[in-house]
Amino acid sequence: MALKGLDIFKLSPKKNCKECGSPTCMAFSMKVAQGAVSLDACPYFSEEAKAAMSEATAPPMKTIKVGTGDTEMTLGGETVLFRHEKTFVSKTRYAVDLCSSMDDALIDARLEELKHVDYDRIGERMYVEMIDVEYDPASGADKYVELVKKADGHGRVLILDCQDVEVAKAALEICKASKPILNGANPSNYEEMSKIATEAGVALGVRGANEDELYDTLAALEKLGNKNLLFNACEGSAKAAFATAVQFRKAAIKDSNRTCGYPSIVNVSKIAKGDWHLQAALLSLFTVKYGSIVIAEHIGYAEALPLYGLRQNVFTDPQKPMKVAPGVYPINGGDENSICLTTVDFALTYFVVSGELERSGVPCNLIINDAGGLSVLTSWAAGKFSSTSIANFFKEQDIEGKIKCRKLCIPGKVAVLKGELEAKMPGWEIIVAPREAVQLVKFLKDMQ
Amino acid sequence: MPFTAKSGKFSANINTLTMGTGDKAIVLGGENVLPFYTFDAEIENAPKVGIEITDGGLEAEPECVKKYYEGCSTVVDMAKKAATFEGVDFLSIHLEGGDPNGENKPTDELINIVKEVADAVDLPIVVCGCKNVEKDAEIFAKASEVLNGKNAVMLAAKEENYKNVGASAGLAYKQIVGAESADDINLAKQLNVLLTQLGVDAKSIVMNVGTAAAGYGYEYVVSTMDRIKAAALQQGDATLQMPIITPVASETWGVKESVATEEDMPEWGPTEERGIDMEVETAAADLASGSNAVILKHPVSVATISKMIKALV
Amino acid sequence: MAKFVAIGERLSTTAPIINKAFTERDPEPILKRAEQQLKAGATYLDVNIGPAESDGEDLMKWAVELLQGNFDNVPLALDTSNKKAIEAGIAVYNRAKGKPIVNSADAAGRIEYLDLAAANDAICIALCNGEGIAKDNDERMGYCQLLLERGLEHGMEAEDIWFDPLFLVVKGMQDKQMQVLECIKMFSDMGLNSTGGLSNNSNGMPKAIRPIMDSALVAMAMMQGLTSAIVNPNDLRLMETIKSCDVFKGNTLYADSYLEI
Repeated sequence: MALKGLDIFKLSPKKNCKECGSPTCMAFSMKVAQGAVSLDACPYFSEEAKAAMSEATAPPMKTIKVGTGDTEMTLGGETVLFRHEKTFVSKTRYAVDLCSSMDDALIDARLEELKHVDYDRIGERMYVEMIDVEYDPASGADKYVELVKKADGHGRVLILDCQDVEVAKAALEICKASKPILNGANPSNYEEMSKIATEAGVALGVRGANEDELYDTLAALEKLGNKNLLFNACEGSAKAAFATAVQFRKAAIKDSNRTCGYPSIVNVSKIAKGDWHLQAALLSLFTVKYGSIVIAEHIGYAEALPLYGLRQNVFTDPQKPMKVAPGVYPINGGDENSICLTTVDFALTYFVVSGELERSGVPCNLIINDAGGLSVLTSWAAGKFSSTSIANFFKEQDIEGKIKCRKLCIPGKVAVLKGELEAKMPGWEIIVAPREAVQLVKFLKDMQ
Repeated sequence: MPFTAKSGKFSANINTLTMGTGDKAIVLGGENVLPFYTFDAEIENAPKVGIEITDGGLEAEPECVKKYYEGCSTVVDMAKKAATFEGVDFLSIHLEGGDPNGENKPTDELINIVKEVADAVDLPIVVCGCKNVEKDAEIFAKASEVLNGKNAVMLAAKEENYKNVGASAGLAYKQIVGAESADDINLAKQLNVLLTQLGVDAKSIVMNVGTAAAGYGYEYVVSTMDRIKAAALQQGDATLQMPIITPVASETWGVKESVATEEDMPEWGPTEERGIDMEVETAAADLASGSNAVILKHPVSVATISKMIKALV
Repeated sequence: MAKFVAIGERLSTTAPIINKAFTERDPEPILKRAEQQLKAGATYLDVNIGPAESDGEDLMKWAVELLQGNFDNVPLALDTSNKKAIEAGIAVYNRAKGKPIVNSADAAGRIEYLDLAAANDAICIALCNGEGIAKDNDERMGYCQLLLERGLEHGMEAEDIWFDPLFLVVKGMQDKQMQVLECIKMFSDMGLNSTGGLSNNSNGMPKAIRPIMDSALVAMAMMQGLTSAIVNPNDLRLMETIKSCDVFKGNTLYADSYLEI
């Protein structure tokens, strides 16, 4: 984060000696803030002031890498509190909870289900990216190590939820190559935990009974030189977890408190044990507000479909529209004889239109043009959804070779294209569809 | 060294607005912090949850909702039943059958339902229009009249009919006027200004700034609400300090995740679970972004969101 | 960013009718002008009672109570060279709608006004000027540093010191105008708030020209980062320009009726 001239001035010697070439310390501070001169031009800036400045200019939130190879992912690195201010950069990752106290059948069922929810949504793979592997002391170390073995190798990042140093060490031996998260540091074990996490080269998750304890432990770990950290939102209640997640993120980004600038882990399986719908609500809440990793008991399709859609929306860069791949999308079992409708590749348009087409129950082909990811009118105005571009697209994609039906519906908002399209695409009957997607159901039904 | 967070309390507040009358009256808004930021300052009035029934009665409900209304033969029966579900703070009667492009039920028929429902339950009432601006103006005028003294919400006036709705609901009958602006932040502000210029009390306006189902362009919803709350609280913009009410059910129960049957999508599992989670996750995101009240359909969704709110405030 | 703060300048002893009303403690002309300014969009009202050497304390108290009592604790700028009068005004001032502004300190004889503001948790206008008109922006920024340090030493927050570059009259000092605008940019780059008697630029110009010059200058100055100005809020063109610039800067959210609110 850039420092304002005022922040630099406050640390400056305020001597106005002019040795730096500027008439006053204030003028000098301003030039440093603009990057016009180096701080070194001033011989009197104290070492402490320099350290404070370099601390202040560091990114407000650390970017933590976990996993390896295909499963490598980044957490944190955010620079704003609201997406409209710039963009969020690291999407929330989800984990399901396994515990060494569970019986094998349940564990197998959870792992099986994990494989099951894995699909593509607008070019993004949607799956449960992480497994939380929780240690239950009563079930013993061996059972835990076995569980870690079982969970490793599913192509998911493991979160080793274990506060026993020896057991954690044994677990790390098994899976450290896949760069798990060792979520085990607390106020009494952090030194040893930090040591084994650093040796294994993995990120360390930190806990505290309350925010003060958590903050102190993070600070102590930073003092030991470990900044490859995550923090656990306090687990006592939803309220406490939300308070930690929000307050630490705010402190990091708004108030430049670097000790708070780590990704968060929120375990909603603890907060709302047994209530899957409440967990679904909390998964959503912590996606909107500042959960870097959210752990739930269970993520099936019911939870996943809205959740991953929400995440994809919230983490979209406001500057870059979401696009779907251009091409032919058969709907309701549409085939080569089904009516064609065409529109743009703006993801929102695609979702709204395809949803309405599905509701109509009428078999059809939705043909998505390459229109730069813009909405119908915007792309039309930009010349990216014109009679020429549509006609060319049909040729490139060999639509006439793929589809026999020659009825093509165009969005009502670009009704003006009808004549030009008829001229450029001989043999096609061009039909003007309604202006709004909600009217499509009636339109298609009436046409039949 | 203890963790000290700088307070994010603002000097401006969201307006407080009372819906309904008597023991069951509820209060929306009043907070001077972002949604659920109780660590910055106490939130006196927790967000509220409404349940939606329609003039179409049981038949119009999704399959998975019907069983909760077993034994109900009329809309009034359903209203009475809905009032007993856990977590219900208010009742929304959605008059979708009024749409001239749909069933086109006569206004008087719809108003009779509204009146009977309001007589049968003591919960605060929201009258949700049919989306056709001319018909809605007519519906809200008559609904305001038959609900005189009930302090009900007319959801909602739009740019095209705010004068009529404002005059009848706001000025003549002192009901609460909803102002609908579908993810358009400048229009949200403008409608509030126009309604107040008309003479409607700013403190009896509630905004419906729109929502989408999770995954359907929800980024606009988050940014609209984030920016409205920033203007209202940080910039102290009095023309945006109205509480926000969000009809969630009407968005989520139409998308394929909630509608597709298990036969159609066997790998997706039971329709009911999908419908509930779509509703619950959308509502949770709306509340996290700034809604002071949400309107839901499934009783399990209502109970779940109510529980979440209690856990957070 | 916060909305531009327009400080209404029309309650001043330089206006004969107000001078008379102050002297005679006649509320009516004062309330009338205050209301006109507030209706037109002023945030703060400047209360300039002149040197008021004999009865300043009593007069300022009276004015503060009168205005705040009638206009829902309207925030005020207390403008006099009589320090005791400012203190007396602050003693009866209600902060519900904003801190009082001390108008003003400078880098020469009036630097203690900063101490006064600090001691009373008030905002202080700090004129970046010493004796005579600063020859360049190095000199202005030197004063700025002096004033900032003084305020900070006395425990003020930097945001409570509103730096005044001293707007200069075009007729006679046309060549200095860009300097003043650059100075505002420097304040803004430093993260400092700023204000000033903007209409000074058009002194001596025909009446019909002044709103045009003032509007153009306020737009340019807001672009440079000016956060407030002491102005005539009943200059419609000027206020429309300020509201429009606030929209461009994102200080207020646009709505079609933005000029009416």
